Amino acid sequence: MSWEGLVAVDTDVAGLRRGDLNALSGLIARYQNRLYRYLLRIVRQPAEAEDLFQQTWLKVVEKIRAFDTSRNFDAWLFTLARNLAIDHLRRIHPQSLDEPLADDARGDTAADRLPSGEPAPFDRVLEAERRRHIGEAVESLPLIYREVLALRFEEEMKIEEIAQVTRTPLSTVKTRLRRSLQQMRVSLEARHPGADWQ
Amino acid sequence: MSEHDKIRELLALAAAGALTRAEEEQVAAHLRSCDTCSNEMNAWRSITGDLRRLPTPQPSPRLLQITIARAEQKIAERAEHDWNRRVMIFVVGFAWLLTIVSWPLFHLVSRLLSLLDPQFNHTWINFAGLTALAWLAGGTAAVMLAVWQRRERRMA
Repeated sequence: MSWEGLVAVDTDVAGLRRGDLNALSGLIARYQNRLYRYLLRIVRQPAEAEDLFQQTWLKVVEKIRAFDTSRNFDAWLFTLARNLAIDHLRRIHPQSLDEPLADDARGDTAADRLPSGEPAPFDRVLEAERRRHIGEAVESLPLIYREVLALRFEEEMKIEEIAQVTRTPLSTVKTRLRRSLQQMRVSLEARHPGADWQ
Repeated sequence: MSEHDKIRELLALAAAGALTRAEEEQVAAHLRSCDTCSNEMNAWRSITGDLRRLPTPQPSPRLLQITIARAEQKIAERAEHDWNRRVMIFVVGFAWLLTIVSWPLFHLVSRLLSLLDPQFNHTWINFAGLTALAWLAGGTAAVMLAVWQRRERRMA
């Protein structure tokens, strides 16, 4: 995030602590896509992600006074969202969170159902197809791997920030990141044996 | 494990930008002399590049509206709760102040009255009466303020 962006976040956080509604709207507008995407990567179901999205912002309003302004708001926000998502998954999927969930990962992903926008040239279609395969492979991974990939590549968090959000040591984050990439590649090569992943 | 195998284990993390400076330099030096690892690194770079470009799902405008409305309601509830707490603290403080301040006043009035009528010496009864009155007034004020505040919020 740019320096101006960080200052704007600080201003909105200060405003929200005072109960300023505009500050809340500003924060939601700024984080809406990133937060929703992250929750969707974790729970995979749009309806559940939407519910958790609302719960996260209610939690932000409830806890904002306890937020230490010297810390990173992004990490704090994503930690709140993660805790809610993990609690939710524990409630509705009592099986181990480290295991992939059933066969529903084989179906269309939420990302697949997104409007594709403008008609694309042929190479862009191929590129989109490739990314669809990647998206499917990510969805088939266990939660802890999906999460670390989302935080690193979509939220562009540093390893230290991921460790903060997931409350795990740096070495664990690195191990998860490496294993998630390796497992994803194995999955891609198994599903699309003829494809060139270079 | 050979040097080659060790570096190969690091390639995925190298493409993810998750290595230390020393590890990065070690990998870079090896890649200059190893075509196999260089090709492998290209494969990882390609995959991590695709991961960075995955489509971003957008929350619906309806979801945003509902979220903002619910959050605003929560903020209003919190503000009302804060206000009620402040009023309660004020009222309790006021009642105590009134109780303490009234003591010398009533003592004086009682003495004056007992000068006029020596049979009249009800200082403690008067003081207790005043205390009850002060606390009753404070409580009534708190209830009235809370009702007024709630009505104001509903109209807003």
